[in-house]
Amino acid sequence: MGTPVEVVDDNGVSTNTTAIESAMSYHELNAMINLWDKDGKMQLDKDKMAARRYFLDHVNQNTVFFHSLRERLDYLVENEYYEKEVLDQYRFEFIEQLEKLAYSKKFRFEAFMGAYKFYTGYALKTFDGARYLERFEDRVVMVALALAEGDEAIASSLVEEIISGRFQPATPTFLNCGKKQRGEFVSCFLLRIEDNMESISRGINSALQLSKRGGGVALSLSNIREYGAPIKKIEGQSSGIIPVMKLLEDAFSYANQLGARQGAGAVYLNAHHPDILRFLDTKRENADEKIRIKTLSIGVVIPDITMHLAKDNEDMYLFSPYDVEKVYGVPFGDISVTEKYQEMVDDPRIRKSKIKARTLFERIAELQFESGYPYIMYEDTVNNANPVAGRINMSNLCSEILQVNTPTTYNADLSYNEIGKDISCNLGSLNIAMVMDGPDFGKTIETSIRALTAVSDQSDIESVRSISDGNHKSHAIGLGQMNLHGYLAREKVHYGSEVALDFTNIYFYTVLFHALKASNKLAIERKSHFVGFENSKYASGEFFDKYINQVWAPETEKTKELFAGSNIAIPTQADWVELKASIQKHGIYNQNLQAVPPTGSISYINNSTSSIHPIASRIEIRKEGKLGRVYYPAPFLSDETWEYYDDAYEVGPEKIIDTYAVATQHVDQGLSLTLFFKDTDTTRDVNRAQIYAWRKGIKTIYYIRIRQQALTGTEVDSCVSCML
Amino acid sequence: MNTRLISRPVNWNKIEDPVDLDVWNRLTQNFWLPEKVPVSNDIQSWETLRPHEQKLTMHVFTGLTMLDTIQGTVGAMSLMPDARTQHEEAVITNIAFMESVHAKSYSSVFSTLCLTSDIDEAFRWSEDNPNLQKKAEIVLNYYHGTDPLKRKVASTLLESFLFYSGFYLPMYWSSRAKLTNTADLIRLIIRDEAIHGYYIGYKFQLAYNEADPKVQEEIKQYTYDLLLELYENEIKYTADLYDEMGLTADVKKFLHYNANKALMNLGFDPLFPKDECEVNPAILAALSPNADENHDFFSGSGSSYVIGKHESTTDDDWDF
Repeated sequence: MGTPVEVVDDNGVSTNTTAIESAMSYHELNAMINLWDKDGKMQLDKDKMAARRYFLDHVNQNTVFFHSLRERLDYLVENEYYEKEVLDQYRFEFIEQLEKLAYSKKFRFEAFMGAYKFYTGYALKTFDGARYLERFEDRVVMVALALAEGDEAIASSLVEEIISGRFQPATPTFLNCGKKQRGEFVSCFLLRIEDNMESISRGINSALQLSKRGGGVALSLSNIREYGAPIKKIEGQSSGIIPVMKLLEDAFSYANQLGARQGAGAVYLNAHHPDILRFLDTKRENADEKIRIKTLSIGVVIPDITMHLAKDNEDMYLFSPYDVEKVYGVPFGDISVTEKYQEMVDDPRIRKSKIKARTLFERIAELQFESGYPYIMYEDTVNNANPVAGRINMSNLCSEILQVNTPTTYNADLSYNEIGKDISCNLGSLNIAMVMDGPDFGKTIETSIRALTAVSDQSDIESVRSISDGNHKSHAIGLGQMNLHGYLAREKVHYGSEVALDFTNIYFYTVLFHALKASNKLAIERKSHFVGFENSKYASGEFFDKYINQVWAPETEKTKELFAGSNIAIPTQADWVELKASIQKHGIYNQNLQAVPPTGSISYINNSTSSIHPIASRIEIRKEGKLGRVYYPAPFLSDETWEYYDDAYEVGPEKIIDTYAVATQHVDQGLSLTLFFKDTDTTRDVNRAQIYAWRKGIKTIYYIRIRQQALTGTEVDSCVSCML
Repeated sequence: MNTRLISRPVNWNKIEDPVDLDVWNRLTQNFWLPEKVPVSNDIQSWETLRPHEQKLTMHVFTGLTMLDTIQGTVGAMSLMPDARTQHEEAVITNIAFMESVHAKSYSSVFSTLCLTSDIDEAFRWSEDNPNLQKKAEIVLNYYHGTDPLKRKVASTLLESFLFYSGFYLPMYWSSRAKLTNTADLIRLIIRDEAIHGYYIGYKFQLAYNEADPKVQEEIKQYTYDLLLELYENEIKYTADLYDEMGLTADVKKFLHYNANKALMNLGFDPLFPKDECEVNPAILAALSPNADENHDFFSGSGSSYVIGKHESTTDDDWDF
């Protein structure tokens, strides 16, 4: 960077900026990993230098120094930075010991991105935002203390799991634990909206309340009557769902969690809702400003019947939710369109319109090219795989939460008549590579399940009763996974190869076993299980059939070696028989156990590839509001592993779907599945992938990402991520 | 004497130059409108800029608006009479239209982030700044000139060189996590300008290669002269803008880099030696017109989406 030129204003005062980022050359060092050096070589070492410089030039100089832990904790509690109640559960000597344990692990950020992300987004700062009050180790200890609820052994295990990188709590938990001024620990909320003004306004109110506390919120619009439907029997009165979307969008942009996270929301609509095309058109490139939806995410709920109608190239009927509810006495979202389709078509009391089924799919694909939206949820696949009684009619902002819900009704004065069940889910993810390297697979999972359950226990969203009631009944959690591609590449296995699928299958199979076992252990300890366990497939035993009647074992030598090398026992049929008996006797504590989120931020901190996706690029260009443009090298990338890092666009949709399919069969909720296309692909390629995904039993599809290569002759020289 | 003009409809099924079709496809695929980008998410970030940083940003944008206005209303259209094919004419209309979209985009940034009084001040500045006015004057002069080759040279230098003193700033901000949505919008513009410069340069080379050696020599000389004339002025303009932030030296290297790029588009040798073109890596890496950013959807819309090619599914696709 050049030397500032002295500029003087009218009063003779220098207007030069003083600290103007002259010391921030770590940005430049980091950017250099996206450029080849003079000899056409990767410059990965520059990223390490960037991380080092970041500490030397920025972090260390802006961290508040304390003489002792005692002084530090006293200061932070007195000045209302830390929550006294969390620390008071422990002896001071123990906290000291825990800090020692954390620092003894010599944690270092592997990538500049991780360090930058942590200090920008997670570390406790002074109220003026100028100086840091925590290092990574301190944050880990605080998270462990908060989640262990006074149990020293669990606190120690948690520090071990987190600092070793095996378990990483989701952002809201990792960010907020132990802080006095904080949002909630829960990541995700899902709300129903019913077909009445009370419910719509409550939905907006709840969206504001939940955004303020830092969660992503999804709302189902399927039950709301369509554009032109009657109100109080007067025809043509309703303005449909678009104005509701507008209201929600504004609500989300208003509320954010102390500025730490932008409010974010999604809405889901059933494909057979009459407003479906209007709903999709809100994301059009040339949509009118009045109906354009910019920041609200959208998702479409697709039942099997829609797929079959498209297969036969037939029309699909769209049904008025207003009439459906009158005829069946339950909201549109609570009936299975697949099951009732013919009946509703034949029922003259239900107003209907029709479109070509294939047109819908083509429209969806066009919009995905233009905007990445909508998400898709395959409704019948989801419900068939659901082990719990009830119906699933929506997903969440990241399309991995899939739980049952029930409606809430209101009195005339807007008070609750009957409080239904809405959904919340707190997440945390395992780093597959680190777990495979770890000393005790089962213990890692048990500790993780305990941590996630603690978040559920400590959460009480009083302002949205349907959420807090739902949480107290279900204790639902979502254990996720990340760094699959990183692990495979490190072990020199190609993503989507036979070995990779075999490994993924057995890994998820083993995780499921230990997750259920841990939840069962919790039920035994607490002498309690989730409400509705009696009516679940766990209680009936049906859930276990596929594990007891069939052998699940590695089919490839390489997978056998990987598990044997890591000393991980693969559960046998006998193990399942035993677990089944214990679960049928004592139940499980958590209604839901697994959900694989897309893992954005936390995978950078944890030095993972996100979720179980292939990498987006060997050098990923990450852009976020709070970070700007940062370059992130794939974990374990080296000259030696280079060839195992085919990016997602090269890997193509089929292998990604295959990978997700083998994992899906062992996950009770969903897995965020992004599909990647080149700009030379057409809407037909996108449709084909959607059909393939549905056939393979995929539950949801998250974003579609498009990569466009620069026209030959217009590219920037020496750019690493530009290379095919 | 009366010559009878015969109108011919443009036939896209008979392509004389495949580059026309390529570029047309790319440009239409890249169609966008400023409303797509949630610039209002930058309001908080805008407030964190110091007053002189805000002023600089506005000045930079009025300067860019000026260039896009010229290019949209005069520049691109002045290429029309010399089009070699009817398809080229169609491409030029697209270029002209998108330049107007660009000019409007800056206004949408202004109206979202700034007060009317500040906007008026910035536009006044653009009318009063001698170096910006000179830049406009030089280019306009050649657009109104009679030599088609020279018009193309002027146009390419504008597209590939003159814009970049302005583009530097939003790239700089976004590498510092400031105004990232505005940067998205600018990246969409860069994506377009990169193609415009390339295409006009390409058409120039076709005409240039047909010209006789004497004319070639003259045009080449003219190109370097014009570039230097613009460069001299651009250096002053850059200093007006960036001295206060201490970034002038850095921007200069960026200018050298882009000057060479413009010459490359015209098929000429670079003017500035490599070590004078060592662009700040954070800027260079941000410049790639590839749409390969992995953005987080919750804080912006990204600059990677395109209008997809529609293709209907067939019965085979639905065979399950």
